[in-house]
Amino acid sequence: MHLPPALVLQFLIWGTVILGSLVIGLVVMGTGIQYRRDQQNQHRIARYQAWEKDLAVHLFGAEVSPRAFPSIPLADRGLFQKFLTRYHATLAGQEAESLRELYLDLGVSESLPKRLKSRHATVRAQAAQEVGIFRLPEHLEAVVPLLNDSVPYVTHLAAQALTLSQNLRFARPVLDWVLREERYQRERILRVLEGFGPELLPWMEEHLEPAEVAPEGWILFALLAGSHRHPESSARLLTLIEMPNLEIQAAALKALAALADPLTYPRVQPLARHEAWLIRAQAAKALGLIGGPDAIPALIELTSDPVYEVRRNAAQGMADLGHAGTSALTWLAEDPSADRFARDIARERLEWADERGHQ
Amino acid sequence: MSRTWPDPTRVLVVEDDQATARLIQARLQMEGLQVFMASNGIEGLELLNREAIDLVTTDLMMPAMNGFRLVQEIRDLPPPKGRVPILLISSNQNEQDMVRCLAAGADDYMTKPISAQVLVERLWRMHQRSFSAG
Repeated sequence: MHLPPALVLQFLIWGTVILGSLVIGLVVMGTGIQYRRDQQNQHRIARYQAWEKDLAVHLFGAEVSPRAFPSIPLADRGLFQKFLTRYHATLAGQEAESLRELYLDLGVSESLPKRLKSRHATVRAQAAQEVGIFRLPEHLEAVVPLLNDSVPYVTHLAAQALTLSQNLRFARPVLDWVLREERYQRERILRVLEGFGPELLPWMEEHLEPAEVAPEGWILFALLAGSHRHPESSARLLTLIEMPNLEIQAAALKALAALADPLTYPRVQPLARHEAWLIRAQAAKALGLIGGPDAIPALIELTSDPVYEVRRNAAQGMADLGHAGTSALTWLAEDPSADRFARDIARERLEWADERGHQ
Repeated sequence: MSRTWPDPTRVLVVEDDQATARLIQARLQMEGLQVFMASNGIEGLELLNREAIDLVTTDLMMPAMNGFRLVQEIRDLPPPKGRVPILLISSNQNEQDMVRCLAAGADDYMTKPISAQVLVERLWRMHQRSFSAG
């Protein structure tokens, strides 16, 4: 088919006009969106700057009775709510209480039941966070279902809200959530559980299923006992190091090392000869911390262990003991009759300590 | 409680969270203190070398140079700068970190969340101690 040149020209002209209009339309729309965002950002920055000054005057202006905060226009309430949440990790005491009052004065907490069920994950997350940081116990029950949310940061904030309440009624659902999570997340999760405070440990002792049936809970127990430095958990930890489960034993050893109670040393010391190197390595870390200089003979024995990690931990344990430990390491490094592994690791740790200016 | 700070008393606040830093700044200024702000250890060290700072409060976790390293660097300076009282503030409640920082030469340690009133009181005590120690 052969089109007349005039018609082709018409097509080209109209095609170019339409395409040009589309491009111009898109550019105008993009510019409009960008302009609106810039305006919103400028507004946010201006409001934040003004509120920062108002907040300082409100919190610190008069020590006896804080000055009233200027009223917040309806359109800025969402922004103000976000502004307040910025300080939740920073302020404590009376100042945190003042922040809570400012939040409650906004009246936005009334919409929490609806927002906790919102189809937008960011809204659910923000609502759960508000319940936690502004301590709103009447909404905690509505937060529990969010532990099964499909979006990880929503579940995380929901768990945080429940633990911050320090109400052990919510310990079971939170622990169930923790045990459903991947193991590599454990450290992050442990910090969430710490929100319940040390009272969680006696609760766990009472409510967890036996370690033979459900070891995971007891691994968490041991890790928490260590991070809380909870001496009342020592007795239970000593039974856990005798469980036939390497992970429980390792976690309990770690916790006992953190507690550093010399009375537990006789029970920990035999683990230096455990058949699993994982336990010997953990024992090598714990012995010096628990037994102090009395642990040196056991640590010397571990410096000739066939596994490098065990030797390294034992030598490090001695280096950390200060003068007595480094003297033992020096003797080991210079003793021609000592085991070759022990001599080498002693030299390596002494060099390491020397580089870092240790004694 | 009334406190009479010598005029001028210069405080260096090293904190990477700007919202927190400005709030601390406002509280300290209300106390009549002269406040210098830095957002990391390197800036803090520069300010300390340039100004006659009487007290330092620093965050532990910061980019470029953290609070622990800053304490070590300050303590390596010759006196009087090397002896400036330092208060470390951290969001980490790790006991080992606490011990490590105090061993490095920090005079006091606080964990977030903090009360600004308590912060001022701690700074006041630190200042009194350093004043009486000469």
